[in-house]
Amino acid sequence: MKDAIGGNQKRARFQALCQALRPDLLRFAFWLSRDRALAEDVVQETMLRAWKAQDSLLDEAAAKPWFLTIIRREYARSFERKRFVTLDVDELIAKEEPMLAAADDHDVEELRAALFKLPDEYREPLVLQVLMGYSTAEIAAQLQLSNAAVLTRLFRARKQLRTLCGEDTRMDPEESRLDPEE
Amino acid sequence: MMDCAHYRRAILADPHDHNADMRLHRDTCQDCSRYTDQVRRFEDRLDRALRLESSAEVRDRPGVLPFRIRDAQTLRLRRGWLAAAASLLLAVVVAGSLWLAVPGPSLAADVVTHMAGEPRAWARSDVSVPERTLDQVLAESQVRLRANPGLVSYANSCLFRGHHVPHLVVQTDSGPVTVMVLTHESARTATRFDDHGYLGMIVPVPGHGSIAVLERGPGTDMNAVERVAAKVIGAIDWSA
Repeated sequence: MKDAIGGNQKRARFQALCQALRPDLLRFAFWLSRDRALAEDVVQETMLRAWKAQDSLLDEAAAKPWFLTIIRREYARSFERKRFVTLDVDELIAKEEPMLAAADDHDVEELRAALFKLPDEYREPLVLQVLMGYSTAEIAAQLQLSNAAVLTRLFRARKQLRTLCGEDTRMDPEESRLDPEE
Repeated sequence: MMDCAHYRRAILADPHDHNADMRLHRDTCQDCSRYTDQVRRFEDRLDRALRLESSAEVRDRPGVLPFRIRDAQTLRLRRGWLAAAASLLLAVVVAGSLWLAVPGPSLAADVVTHMAGEPRAWARSDVSVPERTLDQVLAESQVRLRANPGLVSYANSCLFRGHHVPHLVVQTDSGPVTVMVLTHESARTATRFDDHGYLGMIVPVPGHGSIAVLERGPGTDMNAVERVAAKVIGAIDWSA
């Protein structure tokens, strides 16, 4: 009886945690995969895996990075499981139209199209920084990179986006190598 | 004193960075102040572009489970058939090989997931846990140490797949190596895995379950993992 109550409480807590984090996790998975259906599958698998391993989560404050780590691994696994057909970015955008339909102005729409074109290694730290509010050090820990490598990728991501969106880039700086490995 | 190029590179990497040097430069350079406004306007657009407000939340109706268990089971069943066919093919191709680059939803994957939830366990340290703590943690799984396995800097009894298991961290030259003593998990053969930054192995201990040993980070070294595995297996009295 006591076990059943404990089990229900545990389930309720886990459910509340998932409900609170799910929108952000879905967004993260979407920008990682650029595919709504795949993002939903990845989040679903992530939550099942997290549910099974919930005893590993000692501190609920660390839940978000924990979930993000699982998402990245589940996404990589799904990528390794399947052989994806190479799609044209415009086709991808058309396919994801309902997901991207929230754009109420042309500028945002244009920027989303540019984000689709950004290489994965630049898009991921950018999403972690802008969407998840991660610091450089937190991104470095999540992606297992040095702080300098993260800053270089963020710099390149914004520089490429600005060019793709036709921004005035005359004042943009040239790159200086912050990280010799990049 | 920071120059313009340095300032602009920094603001493009993180538009909300407000360190004192940058503030000072911005306040004294009109061009960079204008550039900052331009970058921040772009940042607002970027923020809105990434939010995907409406569609991403369509399925988040209150009261609905955050994941659909039945759907997931169906998905697993469907994948099960595909997995069976794929396994057959894979078995032919990799028969005899111990190396599994992609462990899939396996014991190794669950070990890695567990480790990702305990970041504190990965700290480098030269301080051993008290002997009593280590003995207590091991005693919960009815094992004990009969020899020194090296510098154990972390010992905890963790719930893993429904059982309390000893989770130890042994410090080595290549960094901290994690060991989980899995007396409830039997493994037929030793399995090495390389799972997105985690390098490790599951080693069977005939008659007594298995141990999982893993390392993470850029300096990972399978030799260190193997050495620790051998040392810990040899140091434990499994019939305590």
